[in-house]
Amino acid sequence: MPDIQATLEAVSDEALARRIAAGPAGSTDLEESELYRRFAPRVRLYGRRHLRSNAGADDLAQEVLLLTIERLRAGEVQKLEQIGSFILGTSRMMCHSERRVVRRREALVARFGDTSIETAPPSLSSLDSGRVAACLRGLAERERLVLLLTYYAEREAPRIAEDLNLSPGAVRVIRHRAIAHLRDCVTGGGRP
Amino acid sequence: MTAPGCDRIALADLTDYTAGELSGPEAAAIEEHLFACADCAGRAAELDALVRAIPAAFRSAEVAGFVTDDVLNRLARDGVHVRTFVLSPGAVVPCAVWDDDEVMALRLRADFGDATEVTMTQRVEGNEVVRSTGRVTGSSPGEVIYTVPAAWIRDLPVVNVEVLLTTHEEGAERTIGSYTLAHGGRFLRSVRL
Repeated sequence: MPDIQATLEAVSDEALARRIAAGPAGSTDLEESELYRRFAPRVRLYGRRHLRSNAGADDLAQEVLLLTIERLRAGEVQKLEQIGSFILGTSRMMCHSERRVVRRREALVARFGDTSIETAPPSLSSLDSGRVAACLRGLAERERLVLLLTYYAEREAPRIAEDLNLSPGAVRVIRHRAIAHLRDCVTGGGRP
Repeated sequence: MTAPGCDRIALADLTDYTAGELSGPEAAAIEEHLFACADCAGRAAELDALVRAIPAAFRSAEVAGFVTDDVLNRLARDGVHVRTFVLSPGAVVPCAVWDDDEVMALRLRADFGDATEVTMTQRVEGNEVVRSTGRVTGSSPGEVIYTVPAAWIRDLPVVNVEVLLTTHEEGAERTIGSYTLAHGGRFLRSVRL
């Protein structure tokens, strides 16, 4: 018997959307989970970029995917071949709406269960904090400080540039290199 | 539909995206592609996981280095116990961290002149144990801030730590300031008087 999940992973986004749209409620749980696995990380990333909140991004991902599934079932998604665009559009719409979050939480938990379902790629899905710390220690001082100011203190390049007596462009270049070094180190390809 | 192995979005662009530093149209173009391309979305998710791991790794207090007040303020907001020592040149300061301290911050004050970079060395019983070069920052003029995991300090015996700040000017090394941390060993909150 073929592994159903592995089979689903080979299905295109469009075909997945068609199955959900065509199936009676309750008969496409696996397809819905696969759609969630594929798109929740993208919606989360979008949410973090626009909401500046991890919790808000997690909520957004669930709400957007729930609404997408409901719309698919109702036959309200016109271009199934562009399901990604539909999900992005829904993300934009819900991100700009302030009437979000609490009222649907119970329904979301009921549908998706554990809200911490791991959907990140396996190579970096379970990052060891100690390993990341070791790799941060291995960075050049300037690279580490730019990463800390960006991703911990949440400062943007112009502010960091002013602080470090650099140009904003130089800050971005340092950040690009720092991220590449950190990624190589964490995935085993580089220092420390 | 994009081809397998698509790498249309460079790591640098994804980095700028995660840092929130692209213009609206630039960010929108990346988002359009990410929602249509599983390969690029996968790489974006990896990067996202990496940058989200940075705060936890730093808060774990296993990372030493030069920081600014922005970083110290964030540590304070996160409830991290920071023990701060303010040192002027020539100072000999009794130094200890308590059992619940997580990070030690050294505010090393000096006349930096035109220096934009300084090198800090720490010596214990004549042996150099730390050498680090960092930027002189504009946000806290007249000082640089260096953080050390408190656990590292707790593990030291009763000993003096000589701290030296230098800079390179016209090919020569100039001393900016020297400081002494007289480490008194591990302090336990439960026996504090």
